[in-house]
Amino acid sequence: MSTLKPNKVLRKKVTRRRVLIGLGTTAGVLVVGVPLALNAGRPALVEYVVENGTGPQEAPFNPDLWFEVTASGITFYAPKMEMGQGIHTALAQIAAEELEVKPEQLTVKQADTARGYAGGTMFTFGSNSVNALYTPLREAAATLRELLREEAARQLGVPAKNLTAAGGQFFIAGRRDTLSYGKVVEGKQGEWTLPDKPARLKARKDFKRIGRAMPRVDFRDKVMGLSSYGYDARVDGMLYGAVARPPRYGATLAAATAGGASAQPGVSKVVIDLKANFAGVVADSRTRARNAVKKLDLRWEGGTNVNQAEIDAQVRAGAGVVVRRRGNVGAALKQGTRIEAEYSTPLVAHAHLEPLAALAQVAPGKNGKIEVWTATQYPQKVMDDIHAALGKDREILLHPTQLGGGFGRKAGQTAAVEATRLSAATGRPVHVGWTREEDLQQAFFRPPSHHILRGSVSSEGRILGVEQFTASGDIIWPASMPEFVKDTIGFDPGGVLGLFMPYDIPAYHVTNRREALPVPTGFWRGLGVFPNTFAVESFADELAHAAKMDPLDFRLNNLPDTEDGQRLRAVLEQAAKRAGWRTPPPAGRARGIACGLDVNTASAQVAEVSVENGQIRVHRMSVAVDPGMVINPQGAKMQAEGSVVMGLSSTLHEVLTVKDGMIESANFDTYPLLTLRETPQIDVDLLESGDTPYGMGEPIIGPVGAAVANAVFALTGKRLRDLPMRL
Amino acid sequence: MNVTVNVNGKPYTRDVEARTLLVHFLREDLLLTGTHVGCDTSQCGACTVHVNGEAVKSCTVLAVQADGMDVKTIEGMGTPGDLHPLQTGFWEKHGLQCGYCTPGMIMASAELLKHNANPSEEEIRYHLEGNYCRCTGYHNIVKAVQHAAEIMAQGGQSGQAADD
Repeated sequence: MSTLKPNKVLRKKVTRRRVLIGLGTTAGVLVVGVPLALNAGRPALVEYVVENGTGPQEAPFNPDLWFEVTASGITFYAPKMEMGQGIHTALAQIAAEELEVKPEQLTVKQADTARGYAGGTMFTFGSNSVNALYTPLREAAATLRELLREEAARQLGVPAKNLTAAGGQFFIAGRRDTLSYGKVVEGKQGEWTLPDKPARLKARKDFKRIGRAMPRVDFRDKVMGLSSYGYDARVDGMLYGAVARPPRYGATLAAATAGGASAQPGVSKVVIDLKANFAGVVADSRTRARNAVKKLDLRWEGGTNVNQAEIDAQVRAGAGVVVRRRGNVGAALKQGTRIEAEYSTPLVAHAHLEPLAALAQVAPGKNGKIEVWTATQYPQKVMDDIHAALGKDREILLHPTQLGGGFGRKAGQTAAVEATRLSAATGRPVHVGWTREEDLQQAFFRPPSHHILRGSVSSEGRILGVEQFTASGDIIWPASMPEFVKDTIGFDPGGVLGLFMPYDIPAYHVTNRREALPVPTGFWRGLGVFPNTFAVESFADELAHAAKMDPLDFRLNNLPDTEDGQRLRAVLEQAAKRAGWRTPPPAGRARGIACGLDVNTASAQVAEVSVENGQIRVHRMSVAVDPGMVINPQGAKMQAEGSVVMGLSSTLHEVLTVKDGMIESANFDTYPLLTLRETPQIDVDLLESGDTPYGMGEPIIGPVGAAVANAVFALTGKRLRDLPMRL
Repeated sequence: MNVTVNVNGKPYTRDVEARTLLVHFLREDLLLTGTHVGCDTSQCGACTVHVNGEAVKSCTVLAVQADGMDVKTIEGMGTPGDLHPLQTGFWEKHGLQCGYCTPGMIMASAELLKHNANPSEEEIRYHLEGNYCRCTGYHNIVKAVQHAAEIMAQGGQSGQAADD
């Protein structure tokens, strides 16, 4: 990232004059920001700067984390997007813990690109928000607390050690009065000077906020309909845009004229740019814009005519890059009981309920400033795309809105680029909101996958060897990897998530194949985790049955005696306990178990299923998760429950098919999601094995499909190896 | 053509095209963006509002069909200091995550509670089958409706927001 800072510590003093300017305008404002360096996968605290002025726009530096303290409270600017995962709440309680404030004293605002923008940090992905920010945020908050304590001590004329911080104020030893943080800032005279090193962090045993459920900071507005999503962005004088879509992936616009569009009521502009493959309409209502865009006279050429059968043929496991080679698989497979199985998962959509949407306002002139309001997980990607479309010298101010779901799809935001093009052409603010049809067909998708596994087990129920071949459409490959990285590694890093069996296998050989498909594919919650875990944990079950062992005992028997192995053992045992694994299931039902490890989070699940009227019915999912450490048990459980529902939806319902170069499904009538009525009882147990919080957004989706498949096998003797499941 | 729709107790007269859907009328003409668009085709339920007291998906109704009618949206359900019990229920029982489906869930649930003050879990599941949620485990939505029913049974129009 171009925004990375050198790894050094700076101290900055603020002049008295600037302090007085700050005090002289409104209330005193203390701003503390922390830039992080994202290197070696983990941010480090590298720089503190304190600014005291009228607002952060004066600050001469680029912090990722940002606090403002005024007489009325503390505002925290969250550098991660809220898309339902509860990250603003989790970050608020981490900050509140070290700041010694009540949660309601901390106002959480979404950071935008104007105040302390750091592209790498703002990318909200990979279940890494809490993991990445846990320590730096605590250090920043603790430093702010100690800065205030020292200043309070000066103002009160008492030693700093006589002050106890609690509830946003300092209690003074031997006195009845208190001094609030706001009063400290208001009363500040002279320079703020930062400490040389980070303040001491609180011991875990003293935590009052971290580890407890806390009201969500975003829910009041959401239950009132006041929360603003990308689709809801509004400014005075705005118009609505709609964009023509290619009938086939890869088709280019060979010729285009306004046709009958210009004459449609309310149409203010037809925008055609053949070089950019772009034709759109701006009108005074969304209905009119969408209607008019159908009247454009367009000639699309080229593109793909691919059909589903060809995609299936392309995604076939076999030759590829060897990503793990341990032991002599050929020899191992000649011993014990040998089995072989093939699995597949289909192309699916993200189906976040808020379709892509953005509002853009472009100032006149070749280099007019661009302001964008949009729901995105990755502002830098949106800004890069806009720069590529409209010129790299333009200044962009991007306001991330709430996201109506993301799941990886909103890593980019095509609608933002479209709205920007239309606004630049009309000189008016333009909102583009995709239809569900556009969202299902013009998106990118979770790629299909195919898996071949061969393995052998001993009569004692030990896995002797596994040979594994996997193929998948590209995930990370097309989006973000430099050519030299591609050439060096040869496999898609997204495609290997969840790929490896977590068991102690003496001979293990894994070959991974990536395929560039004519259909756009990319990030989907957990990347390879769901497809791969479905395959390997179904196969683990098949090995257990081949060894004539209980599937839980078989797993416990084969887990390594490592930290990860122990953590998997613990979640397996807990999920089994919750599900009553050792007791007979209710009549007509059976149970299946599966586990997995992703972003260092271990999870296991037991599914309890029946078959009713020829349909698989899931009655219970018992989930045990060890994310290392839990910040907010309520939020963590919600993430787990949501992962189970999305995973079940993928297991039982979701599949996209391609015909003549285009996704066939256009809406939920042919792409149904799991409904409330179909949702089983879900019990979640959280286990903590350390002092580092890992991810909760993605890992739990991994074992869902295999747990259900394994339960269906236990019930019916039928092994369902292709998703979505059909009996 | 001119239509007058009573929205959240106030009459609004606007000149609209015959083909304008009620949901777009609410969101674009009246700037009531709490009613969300998820599919435009009556399948996701995000746009559910009340028309003359009945829950309808506002993408299935033309604005002109609502002429002279009473429409209630999420913005008309409660005020910051006086939330509707369903708003309190969804908040306190964590019946949402991203919140995009929530206004529709609340409006659909309100209709259920109007006809059935004490719905069973099964009745809630059946009634809300037409409302998709992509984020939650759905269970907290059931709990939220049950909690609202309890508040209403105790005579409370509203509960205090979850500040504990």
